[in-house]
Amino acid sequence: MEFEFDDEQRLLQRVVRETVTRTRSLPEDQLWDTYLELGWLEAPPVELAIVLEELGYAADPTPFLATATWFAPLAGRLPRGSGTGVFDGEGRFVLDADRADEIALLTSEGVVVRDGKDLAAERLSVFDPTLHVARVDAPDLVAGVPDLALMGLAVSTVGSCRRILDLVVAHVKERHQFGVPIGSFQAVKHKAADMYVAIERAKVLAYFSALTIAEDDPRRGRAVAMAKAAAGDCQRVCFRNGFQLFGAMGYTWENELQIHLKRAKAGDLLLGTASEHRKALLV
Amino acid sequence: MRLAPDPEVEKFRADFSAFLDTHLPTPEEATVRSKSSADIPDWARRWQRTLFDEGWLLPAQPPEYGGRNATLPQVVAHLEELSRRRIYHSFNPQGLNIIAASLLTFGTEQQKRDWAIPLLRAEITASLGMSEPGAGSDLAGLRTRAVLDGDHFVVNGQKVWTSGAHDADVLLTFVRTDPDAPKHKGISVLLIPTASEGLVRRPFGSIAAPDDLDFNEVFFTDVRVPKENLVGPLNEGWRVANGSLGHERTLLWVHYAERMDGLIQDSPCDEEWYATLQMDVQALRLLGYRLLGADRNPVEISVLKLLGSEAAQSAELHALEHHGTEALLHPVQTGPYTHMNIEAFTASWFERYARSFGGTIAGGTSEIQRNIIAERILGLPR
Ligand SMILES: Cc1cc2nc3c(=O)[nH]c(=O)nc-3n(C[C@H](O)[C@H](O)[C@H](O)COP(=O)(O)OP(=O)(O)OC[C@H]3O[C@@H](n4cnc5c(N)ncnc54)[C@H](O)[C@@H]3O)c2cc1C
Repeated sequence: MEFEFDDEQRLLQRVVRETVTRTRSLPEDQLWDTYLELGWLEAPPVELAIVLEELGYAADPTPFLATATWFAPLAGRLPRGSGTGVFDGEGRFVLDADRADEIALLTSEGVVVRDGKDLAAERLSVFDPTLHVARVDAPDLVAGVPDLALMGLAVSTVGSCRRILDLVVAHVKERHQFGVPIGSFQAVKHKAADMYVAIERAKVLAYFSALTIAEDDPRRGRAVAMAKAAAGDCQRVCFRNGFQLFGAMGYTWENELQIHLKRAKAGDLLLGTASEHRKALLV
Repeated sequence: MRLAPDPEVEKFRADFSAFLDTHLPTPEEATVRSKSSADIPDWARRWQRTLFDEGWLLPAQPPEYGGRNATLPQVVAHLEELSRRRIYHSFNPQGLNIIAASLLTFGTEQQKRDWAIPLLRAEITASLGMSEPGAGSDLAGLRTRAVLDGDHFVVNGQKVWTSGAHDADVLLTFVRTDPDAPKHKGISVLLIPTASEGLVRRPFGSIAAPDDLDFNEVFFTDVRVPKENLVGPLNEGWRVANGSLGHERTLLWVHYAERMDGLIQDSPCDEEWYATLQMDVQALRLLGYRLLGADRNPVEISVLKLLGSEAAQSAELHALEHHGTEALLHPVQTGPYTHMNIEAFTASWFERYARSFGGTIAGGTSEIQRNIIAERILGLPR
């Protein structure tokens, strides 16, 4: 087994990073067009993970994650426009269902694809107003979460956590108290180091799960459960330490930290928390 | 990234497996147990010698150093096979993994011949003399002095914690050779035979038992050490300590991950921590593969050490608590007895938990690893 990016994957990572930085302030529809032009929606699992990690880092406002990892694995194709999938057996908390052009439903009769307009999904009011989650009313729903959806949320959450850590590191180098940068205090350093370790742990497990999906390895079910659980563990550390180290600044609306904290937390709460996936590993 | 096994590696694994099936000592041969980390019973010496002769001891090395020029993925397969069967390839692990490895990296040709090869062939054993009463985490504060006098160094001072020293033939000893230089710049490394005049070793018990003797105090009084026993350049001991040991350190942690599989097997249960343990082991393994693969910052070894040692400790604590009052019992066997293993790994749950602190204290504590990650990876001010 080889567990490092090859040259093309490294190149892709660089391109995604540059693109995401460059397009940060573009409106949503232009971002979406850029992603389509670059062929990111068609990326195979490991490459998709590379894209999603960076989109997580950027708190991407588009329905890319839902289209690539909620719709596509269910429908077996890409949607016309954007898409999402209902596979929880209930139709609660469906990512981007309020704005998807097509919605794939996992039903007792198999997968049914419907027009988003026809389903009239009801957007839920949530703590993070940039997050689109909606309730979908449809008959005969059954549960069966695609591995790709778990991997996608896991690796996006890793991206959010990386962003939180980067913001924290920049902040604690900059902010002075008692005449020194607060980053020179050991209590601060150790919190940052713990964030780093949690991120690295979650990152390798997320990429391993992408790799098992790419090669359709029999370990994929366990690998995605581990990835989702580790991402959940990671956001716990990064949310707590990240918020704490910002002091009152992190408590404000203006500070961009809040966006990433909320994304990271949502990444754990959607499709089962760390604790639930750990239990899945025990059976 | 690729999961599929490489045929070259699988062939290598099969060859090693076949070798183990035919050459492994029998449980009857192996009744005499190792008493310390530098005590190799005769049967285990023969075993290590066989590994050396057949090129299975340090497979990445050339044949003259007990290897077969194996590739890194092959070396990983070698460790996986050993761990899967709970086999220790040397009962003087620091002698093989740290001291011989350092000599192969930093030693002169003569040192390799006179010291590294006998260590590899288990003709002699070695211990690591770094820590002192006043120099633990602050290793660079060490004060044991070595003064050049003609063609000898004269050594005075004291080491402590020196695992296995009372059974070792030689100590890789860190000494101060330039007291006026900044503290990292005046350190050198000497090979000091334990039979040297003026060298006194006093073993003392561990938390496990008063007669569990591995720790030592070592006192040096005017010990004369031939100049040619200097390892690496004079006053560059800090470099040896932090070893450009290449992949050796990463491999130690891959090995550690594989060994944690034993813990997974020994403590099956349906509590959440058991899933966490499996995740930690898998993450450690993947971090190791990743670090072996690419041109990554070698400081990342700190991530492996911190994650691995803390994960093991946390799992041992959960296993202990899982057994409730029963976990007070000692001695008891908590894993399968395998004669090629070191018993401490299957000792009572209480002992196993206590010993897990070796991981978070020795070789740079968890706190020191966090400092390193914060300062040298994240770039926070010192
Ligand atoms: C089982 C075992 C085997 C060993 N074998 C050997 C051996 O063979 N050879 C050898 O040379 N040594 C050996 N050691 C010694 C080991 O390397 C030292 O114990 C280790 O370096 C820590 O030093 P110390 O024990 O003096 O602790 P201290 O340095 O006194 O540390 C005590 C506590 O203070 C904390 N601390 C210290 N400095 C800082 C800091 N800057 N920031 C934050 N916290 C800090 C530590 O993290 C720790 O929690 C062994 C130790 C053990 C437990």
